[in-house]
Amino acid sequence: MNRALGIVNFSRSHVHVEGLQDYRPIGAFSFLGRYRVIDFPLSNMSNSGIEYIQIYANKQPRSLVEHVGTGRHYNINSKRGDLHMLFSETNIANPIYDTDIAAYVNNMQYIERSHQMYVIIAPSYMVYTMDYSELLQTHVESEADITLVYHSVDNARESFLACDTLNLNKQKGVLSIERNRGTAKSKNIFMDTYVMKKDLFIELIEKAQKISSLYTLPQIVNAQCEELDIRGVAHRGYLASITDFKSYYDANLSLIDVKTRNTLFDEEWPIYTRTNDSCPTHYFEGANTKMSIVSNGCTIEGSVENSIIGRGCVIKKGAVIKNSIILPGAIIGEDVHVENHVVDKYAKITHVKEIIGTPENPGYIKREDRI
Amino acid sequence: MKQNNMLAMILAGGRGSRLHDLTNKVAKPAVSYGGKYRIIDFPLSNCANSGIDVVGVLTQYESVLLNSYVAAGGRWGLDAKDSGVYVLPPREKADANLDVYRGTADAISQNIDFIDNYDPEYILVLSGDHIYKMNYAKMLDYHKKNNADATIAVIGVPMKEASRFGIMNTDEDLRINEFEEKPPQPKSNLASMGIYIFSWKVLRKLLVADMKDPDSHHDFGKDIIPTMLESGKRLFAYKFKGYWKDVGTIDSLWEANMDLLDSNNELDLNDPTWKIYTEDITTLPHIIGPNANINRAFITQGCEIDGEVKNSVLFTGAKVGTGAKIIDSVLMPGAVVEEGAVVTRALVADGIKIGKEAVVGSADSENIELVAKRVKGVE
Repeated sequence: MNRALGIVNFSRSHVHVEGLQDYRPIGAFSFLGRYRVIDFPLSNMSNSGIEYIQIYANKQPRSLVEHVGTGRHYNINSKRGDLHMLFSETNIANPIYDTDIAAYVNNMQYIERSHQMYVIIAPSYMVYTMDYSELLQTHVESEADITLVYHSVDNARESFLACDTLNLNKQKGVLSIERNRGTAKSKNIFMDTYVMKKDLFIELIEKAQKISSLYTLPQIVNAQCEELDIRGVAHRGYLASITDFKSYYDANLSLIDVKTRNTLFDEEWPIYTRTNDSCPTHYFEGANTKMSIVSNGCTIEGSVENSIIGRGCVIKKGAVIKNSIILPGAIIGEDVHVENHVVDKYAKITHVKEIIGTPENPGYIKREDRI
Repeated sequence: MKQNNMLAMILAGGRGSRLHDLTNKVAKPAVSYGGKYRIIDFPLSNCANSGIDVVGVLTQYESVLLNSYVAAGGRWGLDAKDSGVYVLPPREKADANLDVYRGTADAISQNIDFIDNYDPEYILVLSGDHIYKMNYAKMLDYHKKNNADATIAVIGVPMKEASRFGIMNTDEDLRINEFEEKPPQPKSNLASMGIYIFSWKVLRKLLVADMKDPDSHHDFGKDIIPTMLESGKRLFAYKFKGYWKDVGTIDSLWEANMDLLDSNNELDLNDPTWKIYTEDITTLPHIIGPNANINRAFITQGCEIDGEVKNSVLFTGAKVGTGAKIIDSVLMPGAVVEEGAVVTRALVADGIKIGKEAVVGSADSENIELVAKRVKGVE
């Protein structure tokens, strides 16, 4: 897999996850207690034998930089491999100019300088597992110009609304890429995952730039549908697109179910993350935990049900956590009742005793908030 | 070596035969403890947190796992420039035959060349099989302040138990005037913790002489310390307060794990200023099923629980099936307790499977049951 350069892309400007994204890019969102969303694409690449990876970051890269670090924890060869974080200038006057194409142009020298023949591009904001070496093999054998990965869903009316969809012919040829407008149940959700030759990728970037400075990669690919041989490859298994608050909430909670979890996690396909050297979690007398995923370093004296508890959280006596996601380092005080909420990192809830949302409309408590 | 001019040598060659099957394949320092750790993580993390950069680990008994485990110094942050963890098993030399380490002092003597490479002013000698948190930098300050030749860490033990330990008798200033190994009539309750700081020049001279002495046991407690006392060297006791445990038996290993369940346990593994580092294992967080009932427990990543866990410690990747009961027990890494099985007052060894509906251990047993072989369940 030395043939491919891995590129992990950031979310486009029309995507905004309420609350959480005010503090960090989606790739750096805490996921399932101990992970960050970007661990999934990076582990996929590492497990597929991709040794050269570029991560593109634009806004608020601090927590992403902190988490990815040298990348050693992703099991990438420290001499032969390279994990490179690349930054692009953000346009303060108008963020619509902060496109993925602009980021590639900013860092063109690093793309040109890489020795790989192919690029595999994956988003930092989707959670799925996939063997990219197989995908590349399929791409090469098909002799297509570009291969795009999609996932067929039947809930496109209410979900995946910030995503693009692929319009395919019977031979899996891509006719067009369109935004999901929630007009039909069944759609092929485009997973923002591409395979193509590096030279073609560079050519597309240059072309896009000439047409419009607002152009994005899917837009320029869409514009080439007639001229190039662009094919779709279906992905099976678990897919979550973290592109709005509800999808973040739902994706986390969906993985409490063992059947669903087994469609994402596989012992043969480890998901790497950065260790924090937290000690095991301490359950005290009177604790009551059911149907939950709990990270290390927590102290739990209260009740936890159908929830995700991040690293180093404190759940005090009499507290009740239900259908909620508690991000690392949060403190839930005595007798506080939290239901259908996302509690961001280091928040401390002590005085307000009831924080209740609904499954359809979950609530959010800000980072480091004191309530 | 730049940080404090002190090099650490960890004695990790012991078998720990009273741990029975747990140390058949691994040395005692490699035995798992506290959910996610191995015992040797404690001295290694203490070294890293105390600003010691170079650590030699003296291995001998069943050292394959231990050698590869400690060689990855990055786990404890001991991998910066001029820093590292060095595995030192006995080796053949140009001027000496291949010989096992004949005693604790001999293990250091046989590695004088290694130590000389770093030219340290002080040397810290530690035991690799004790569980405690200690700032060796403070002990070094104390050593310097006393202008000592050797400083020995001691812990106050109940007077009636003092005859089980190596006891230091001191004057008011804690200068040691006598060392008694397991005295029938102890004069003091200051027990040696097997943690020594020596001024390297002094120790080096003594070790060279000790190597040639045919009557020596080549042991710090039996030979080096008494020789130093006889020759009027300045030896001081350094009083340690806090959690310290030498887990020599299955019962004491179990007990040390149970200590973690106390809400104010002295070891406090959750202290962010003195973390204990260990191997980073790629697993999910722990997962708790719909039928779980967890009360007083210490549980780490990779565990899956759908039964009752009471007063127990579960290590990495342990699994508790639906309706199984784990009471007053320790499940070592990867142990599996299948549906409906009951484990009481037992320590289930690494990777051991306890079949459906099987019953292991009992609530009124005198000793903790070590389960080191697969227990068949009801088919």
